Amino acid sequence: MIVNTRKVLILFLAALLLAVPLVGCSSDGGKDTSEKPAEVKDPYRIGAVLSETGTYAGLGAPERNTLEMEVAKINDAGGVNGHPIEIVFEDDATDPDTAVAATTRLIDKEGVMAIIGATGTGATMAMRQEIDRAGIPQLSPAGGTAVTASFDPLVFQTPWSNSLVVPFELAYIKKQGITKIGLIADSGGFGKDGAGVVKEKVAGAGITIVAEEAFNAGDTDMSAQLTKIKAAGAEAVLMVTAGKEAATVAKNMMDLGMTVPLFGTHGNARTEFIEGAGAGAEGFRFAAGKILLPESYDSGSESYKVATEFIDEYSAQFDKAPDTFAGHAYDALHIIINAMMTLDEGFTPAELRDAIEATDGFVGIGGVFTYSATDHNGMTEDDLVMYQVTDGKWVLAK
Amino acid sequence: MGAPELLQFALAGLKNGSIYALVALGFTIVYASTGVINFAQGEFVMLGGMLSVWAHSTLGLPLPLAALIGILGTAVIGVVFELLAIRPRKDGDPLALIIITVGGSLLLSNLARHVFGPSERSLPAFTAGPSLRFLGATLERQSLWIFGLTALAVVVLTVFYSRTRLGRAMRACSINRTAARLVGVDPKRLVTISFALAAALGGLAGVVTTPLTQTAFNVGSSFGIKGFAAAILGGLGNPIAAVIGGLVLGLLESMSIAFLSSTYKDAISLVVLLLVLFIRPQGLLGRGGREKV
Amino acid sequence: MSLLREHWRKLALLIVGAGVAVVPLFVTGTDARYVLKVLSFVGINALIVLGLALLFGYAGQVSMGHAAFFGLGAYASAWVTKSLGLPWLVGLAAAVLLTAAAGILLALPSLRLKGHYLAMATLAFGEIMRIAFVEAKGVTGGPDGLSGIPYASIGPLSFDTPQMNYWLVWGVLVLAIWLAANIVNGRPGRSMRALHGSELGTMASGINITGIKVRVFTLSAVFAGVAGALYASVVGFVSPSTFSLHLSVILVAMAVLGGTRSLAGPLLAAVVLTLIPYADAILPGLSREVMTVIQEWEADVYGLVIIIVILFMPGGIAGALRGVFVRGGEAK
Repeated sequence: MIVNTRKVLILFLAALLLAVPLVGCSSDGGKDTSEKPAEVKDPYRIGAVLSETGTYAGLGAPERNTLEMEVAKINDAGGVNGHPIEIVFEDDATDPDTAVAATTRLIDKEGVMAIIGATGTGATMAMRQEIDRAGIPQLSPAGGTAVTASFDPLVFQTPWSNSLVVPFELAYIKKQGITKIGLIADSGGFGKDGAGVVKEKVAGAGITIVAEEAFNAGDTDMSAQLTKIKAAGAEAVLMVTAGKEAATVAKNMMDLGMTVPLFGTHGNARTEFIEGAGAGAEGFRFAAGKILLPESYDSGSESYKVATEFIDEYSAQFDKAPDTFAGHAYDALHIIINAMMTLDEGFTPAELRDAIEATDGFVGIGGVFTYSATDHNGMTEDDLVMYQVTDGKWVLAK
Repeated sequence: MGAPELLQFALAGLKNGSIYALVALGFTIVYASTGVINFAQGEFVMLGGMLSVWAHSTLGLPLPLAALIGILGTAVIGVVFELLAIRPRKDGDPLALIIITVGGSLLLSNLARHVFGPSERSLPAFTAGPSLRFLGATLERQSLWIFGLTALAVVVLTVFYSRTRLGRAMRACSINRTAARLVGVDPKRLVTISFALAAALGGLAGVVTTPLTQTAFNVGSSFGIKGFAAAILGGLGNPIAAVIGGLVLGLLESMSIAFLSSTYKDAISLVVLLLVLFIRPQGLLGRGGREKV
Repeated sequence: MSLLREHWRKLALLIVGAGVAVVPLFVTGTDARYVLKVLSFVGINALIVLGLALLFGYAGQVSMGHAAFFGLGAYASAWVTKSLGLPWLVGLAAAVLLTAAAGILLALPSLRLKGHYLAMATLAFGEIMRIAFVEAKGVTGGPDGLSGIPYASIGPLSFDTPQMNYWLVWGVLVLAIWLAANIVNGRPGRSMRALHGSELGTMASGINITGIKVRVFTLSAVFAGVAGALYASVVGFVSPSTFSLHLSVILVAMAVLGGTRSLAGPLLAAVVLTLIPYADAILPGLSREVMTVIQEWEADVYGLVIIIVILFMPGGIAGALRGVFVRGGEAK
């Protein structure tokens, strides 16, 4: 079988000989040299690493829709100081490695000056090494606390993080006279992150956790976990998950005849939840930003105008109201664009980063953003509001 | 913990277990005719749910008709998959076929994403109304459908395998291909029929669970893992073994939640599965010496 | 005759080594980092598939849990180098020892299992480990993962550029191929092939089947563990979502697509399949639009390629190659 080894080697050699010239060629590839009309300035390129396939495909799709719609609008309005904006999209397939390779590609091959992404917290964290190396700013639409808690001067976040939502929500629960809660969370990144924050903050809110349960993505029934919570005498159930299993939890509670209220988080601000849980969703309360109901802003305010305009345009173009993920992508893009507007021609990525950090009072979809050298999440509890599901619709909770 | 709670845990376990059993039945049928574990079985569950949602919400058909479309549509896809991807591999090498089903699983779930979109979809319950109460525990109406249809599937399959000529031929085929030919049945046709049956059962599982859990293009793999585990736990032999495997797995999970930890319920049931395999390598009800790979 | 072949082999190995070594010198364009990073991923996958090829192609065993060994190696080396601050080689040693121990522990009781039951046992192991990666937050960082893992370094030599990382990964891979080729062509390889043919026959000829199975399984686990250690230092970030059942299954698919009793086939399969989503790394002419379509349909294409290769190349890539070689040999 020595022949076999020889074959191994020959084939590898052949493969390499094939690969080397191909790879070699790539050194002069990549650069787009097509001529452009003189009056149009070079585009500013922004990379976007989104989960268009894989587990988070349902989140990546509205994010991409939003970016495409908003960039077209910005360019129609003349771009940034005459420069059109070009977004280079990459799909990370909800996989950290792919996100890393995509980031390297965007930085080195496409020469982007900022990156929006990734959809998921895991992929966002994985990109960090490349972001740090290139020194370009990253705006993540992922909600994990780790994104900004594990601080990186280059990384900014647009969603409300659990560390912002949870204390707000616990205070609300306490105000309802509830002191004993049962906690149920998914075993993935979002649920673990949120459950960790809940456990850390309950004592300060004057609430105790009487039962703590978990479930996995793909589980078909949570009535066993809920039975335990019920037996422990919980006065309310607090659920932390962004998955479709949220609907199963709500339904199981109804089917078990549990009458205690169910609270969720911003992870449940999707119409699919109400469709899935049906009657089980009635009375469900959760904290989220004000985009779900622009009425929660004063109708004359800037926030109201921005939110209604975005909702109307998105609904008209995609035949569906935007969800919160669309809003996070909107904010990420506009924060970068606004920062670019403040800079002179020929700015560096470092200057762009500084300008983003200087964002002060930007009125976005998720809320009003004010970044600082220590706060890269940028929002406050003022941007949150409690919702309640009534007759299959979101209304403001009392 | 009182008796009502215990009963509730048992019901939760039986409910999940019945779902696993339905998926495991599909594994068993294809295994019996080809000696192959069909990694696309979970995708049949996804397709059953997706097709019936499409028929119900997009076409506006009544629920029973939509459910039928989900089941039959999935069966047709199963047959097409067999004809295009399984049959052309003439030697029937089980490992090659398994990897083909892995490819099929990737292909089906991603095609479903292109066709039906990435978001989760839902279906109303078969029978509306509050859940039933007895002895302090509750059971929702959809669970009765799941129990009933799983039981029906087992009875029909058992009768089919033992009473009909085709069924007996399929059993013969699983023991020996030449034997099947001697009975006068073309083994190739049996494989196609087994894929149709397995896909229909998978589709059925998808249709009955969607009202409880919603469905999405990527739910196939978790159904597949649980169903595979149930089929192996029971022993890859007959429909009864698959159902027992499914119910045991479901009860193991709910009892882990009740007495140990919901975080580790899957780990606990997998450890038990490993222990069973190490003590009884052919599963709970499997017979030795039937192994094909 | 055999001496001649021996020389031939050494010469070819030398040329291959040199060929692999000079690739970074040719990749100098703006996208060099990207191309080299992709090639490093290719090398890492190839290393795991090499182990699976030994296990499947020569010992007839299937593992659906190799992503777990990959993860064990990655976490072990990440924890040792980052949290304990020890040298990279210590991290590598930890990865090797841990995966070897886990491999033996899993292999010993699993030996009685055959076919699908073995597949299920390894799958269960993989899932249990994935849960462990998520829950052992103190060591693994939980679902958020471990970031800021230092680059590999050996003494004063630091592998902190894509070029150096590429050399590291492919250097280890070439070593592993050499090791695997020696095993396959030596006495252990003959016993392994006998095992694939008939267990009873092998037993009758007095070969210790149990020992061989355990050793091959452990070796393949260690290959995956080393790949994990390389992965941790190349990417600098490790999180549980990487080490999924999906990855285990894809790796097995690569090994099976490659064909039995071959190392070249599975290696080529690993190279080609890993490159599908990164097609523009080696085909620089591809436009953005084409890449967008490829990414959108990548998973579908992946599934289709697996089906088509197995249908139209019954012996896998190795079978197809063997056909070419045998015909060439006969013509002489």
